[in-house]
Amino acid sequence: MKLEIEHLSKHFSGNQYPAVNDIKFSMQAYEILSFVGPSGCGKTTTLRLIAGLERPDQGVIRLDQHIISNTRTFIPPEKRNIGMVFQDHALFPHLSVFDNIAFGLKGFTKAEKKDRVSELLELVGLEPLAKRFPHILSGGERQRVALARALAPKPALLLMDEPFSSLDAHLRLEVREQIRNILKASQSTVIFVTHDQEEALFMGDRLAVFNQGKLEQIGSPETIFHDSGSRFVAAFMGDSDFVRGKSMPSGFQTELGLLDQQNDYSPGTDIEIAIRADDIDFELNQQGNGRIINRFFRGAFNFYRVELDSGAIVHVFKLHTEIFQPGDRVLTYFNAGHPLKIFTR
Amino acid sequence: MFRTEALRSTNRRQNKPIPKIAFLAGWVALLAVVPVIYILIRALTGDPELWQRIIQTRLIKLFSNTLWLVLAVTSGTTLLGVSMAWLTERTDVPGRKIFRWLLALPLAIPPYIGAIIHLALLRPHGGLISQWLEGTNFASLPLPNPTGFWGAAFVLVIFSFPYVFLLSGAAFRSLNASFDEAARMLGRTSWQTFWQVTIPAIRPGITAGALLVSLDILAEYGTVALLRFETFSSAIFVQLAGRYDRSAASILSGVLILLALVILYGEFRIQGQSQFTQIGSHWRPTTLIHLGKRRIWGFLALLFTVLVSFIIPVGLLLFWSAQGILDQQTISGMQIGSKGLLSFIFNSVWSSGFAAILAVLFSIPIAIYVVRYPGKVSRLFSRISQVGYAIPGVVVALSLVLLVNRFLPFLYATPLVVVMAYVVRYIPQAVRSSESAMHQLSPNLEEASRLLKRNALQTFVQVTLPLILPGLLAGSALVFLSSLKELPATLLLRPAGFETLAVRVWIWTEEGFYLQAAPASLLLVVISIIPLYFLLRRETIFRQ
Repeated sequence: MKLEIEHLSKHFSGNQYPAVNDIKFSMQAYEILSFVGPSGCGKTTTLRLIAGLERPDQGVIRLDQHIISNTRTFIPPEKRNIGMVFQDHALFPHLSVFDNIAFGLKGFTKAEKKDRVSELLELVGLEPLAKRFPHILSGGERQRVALARALAPKPALLLMDEPFSSLDAHLRLEVREQIRNILKASQSTVIFVTHDQEEALFMGDRLAVFNQGKLEQIGSPETIFHDSGSRFVAAFMGDSDFVRGKSMPSGFQTELGLLDQQNDYSPGTDIEIAIRADDIDFELNQQGNGRIINRFFRGAFNFYRVELDSGAIVHVFKLHTEIFQPGDRVLTYFNAGHPLKIFTR
Repeated sequence: MFRTEALRSTNRRQNKPIPKIAFLAGWVALLAVVPVIYILIRALTGDPELWQRIIQTRLIKLFSNTLWLVLAVTSGTTLLGVSMAWLTERTDVPGRKIFRWLLALPLAIPPYIGAIIHLALLRPHGGLISQWLEGTNFASLPLPNPTGFWGAAFVLVIFSFPYVFLLSGAAFRSLNASFDEAARMLGRTSWQTFWQVTIPAIRPGITAGALLVSLDILAEYGTVALLRFETFSSAIFVQLAGRYDRSAASILSGVLILLALVILYGEFRIQGQSQFTQIGSHWRPTTLIHLGKRRIWGFLALLFTVLVSFIIPVGLLLFWSAQGILDQQTISGMQIGSKGLLSFIFNSVWSSGFAAILAVLFSIPIAIYVVRYPGKVSRLFSRISQVGYAIPGVVVALSLVLLVNRFLPFLYATPLVVVMAYVVRYIPQAVRSSESAMHQLSPNLEEASRLLKRNALQTFVQVTLPLILPGLLAGSALVFLSSLKELPATLLLRPAGFETLAVRVWIWTEEGFYLQAAPASLLLVVISIIPLYFLLRRETIFRQ
């Protein structure tokens, strides 16, 4: 294992709840792990604990089988061999691009520094900008300099704290693909923090979903998305709606009708079913079970918001040719073609 | 359960080591606060009979004199400062760019030099104006009495308003156009917008400026002494220099410090809120108000202010200096023993420069501690180290006389005591500059450096220091400027033969040699303009 973390906790004085609460996970070498969760969920604090920028209250952090932090040991950040890309890039404004990248190359001779820096400038595609200063670079260029600087000393682990959040939306899509290719080409082991589900799915080989200081679930993007381990993960990662029901031997009884799905629940258990917009469908029907409240045009699709008679809200995809009016009564029914995720209430 | 609780509490202690910088900051705070504490103790343990005598004979008169002067000057500077800032920042009055500079330059003229010029012009007998009038039909015209309350208030307003002008100018400048536009869209006239939106938004800036001015007035010695209006500062000076009565001086100082501490506390409270007008990324300047035909009145108001506060004083100093240099007798009068102007310049510059360097060095641990480890303790240290704002020069002198005599006798009667006084008195200015420089430095830069294999000290030297250096230099320029102009503490603490420009100007003036004092005054102003120019270039209203 490259990185192993056990029972990691951190409570900031003055806060009611711990920022990081008994977290445990491990990482393989060359893996990219996305930390994702709403703001204040503890993902950034966990990152800073690993970096050594905060001291944990408890827990063990091992990097390459060496303890870098436990109750007795606290290796300072400069001795951990961990690189970090900051949200605001944190390029030193008084140093040129070259000097920024060379900053971490302690103990290198001049010639070695030059070689390593040009290697990295090539990797990130910024050879012509070596002599520039950070303030005249574009957002995307700064991003890549920050990455080159963090990678230069060949860190055992690279941490990236919402690195794309300062970029414009259109630039973000372009840059994240470049960055992912660079990370894979340089065989880096990376923890990538984001609050954007889509970005987490794109960047991570695996995802770790955080909520209120706890690690809710860790797994491959497919697992997280299709086999959410908790209601929170389903809601946060999959934009799921929830419909209540009761388990029966043959399936689940809900206001959308019977969901035909094998299960081990004892009959009569109160459950909730996580539903995405492509898992259900509706047709116009005066005797139906809901009412259209709104239609959102999404190019190839119409995206309908339907209020069921119980008050629950669900969303439904329809082709762009199928147009209904808000207020229309509809009959909504299951149309998934795969098992849906069930949570007990 | 019990066990884990116990474990956790030991972890807490381990996990929050007190940063080393806290100890350094603590020492600085201690050094800054000792003079105040010492004077307060001396005052409280003073002879009860003496207390009673002072309360009965002096205190009420001094209190009312001092408070009235503070009130008058503070309102005057606020009115003048804000209106000058409004004219140059918000209206299309012609020449406003040049006026911005000219309105800030009176900061290079110490008020007591202003008072000297004021007296030289308006003295009932021998004043230049009365001499001019004598031959004319206006000889019987009653001239205003240049001394007393109104004289002192006038001179202090004229030479203190730039503080308020700069702070409110910066506040006007940082106002976003969208505030104004939103108010207009919500149905306010431009007049209502001014009172309901603009003024409330810049109020913290103005108030902070006004409170600093009042602390300055509490501390002012030269002007009130020269214009014969007795305040706490001048009364303490007389007790010390004339009667050598340190007990009475201590009691008066104790009362004065308490008064100043109340004002300083108010200023600290305001500081916390003065941040709500910030120049964000979507900032646009507000559109200028077109004065139309009234432009000429705005222009005349600016011109009059600039004439009275800068051009006439400096013009007269130039004229008198030229006269003095041409006059053999005056020239020889400027030589004191073997020492001439050059030696006064040298003494002024090295003592102020040394104080500036020390003050900034001392301010660094405080700034790092309070900005990087925010909390009750660090904020307390920062505030304690700024207590010098509330200790007038005469009080600093008194406490250093007592403390140095008792604990560091080998320093007594050396110029180093004068330097110490400057550091105690002006370290708050360095602390503020260093803190604001540290605030502007993203902690991420230091963290990035740690992750790139630098320890805390290397990070400070290679990343923090180069980036906060401009702020540190500004702090030292400010301390240098203030020390250069300092008068009462220098007069009281200087060893025999240690003469600075300020001291010489004062002695010649007291002896009535106005012409002789002119070149030294002019030099003081010119030397002050150098750090002032550097400082003003960093001000919001002079950027771009």
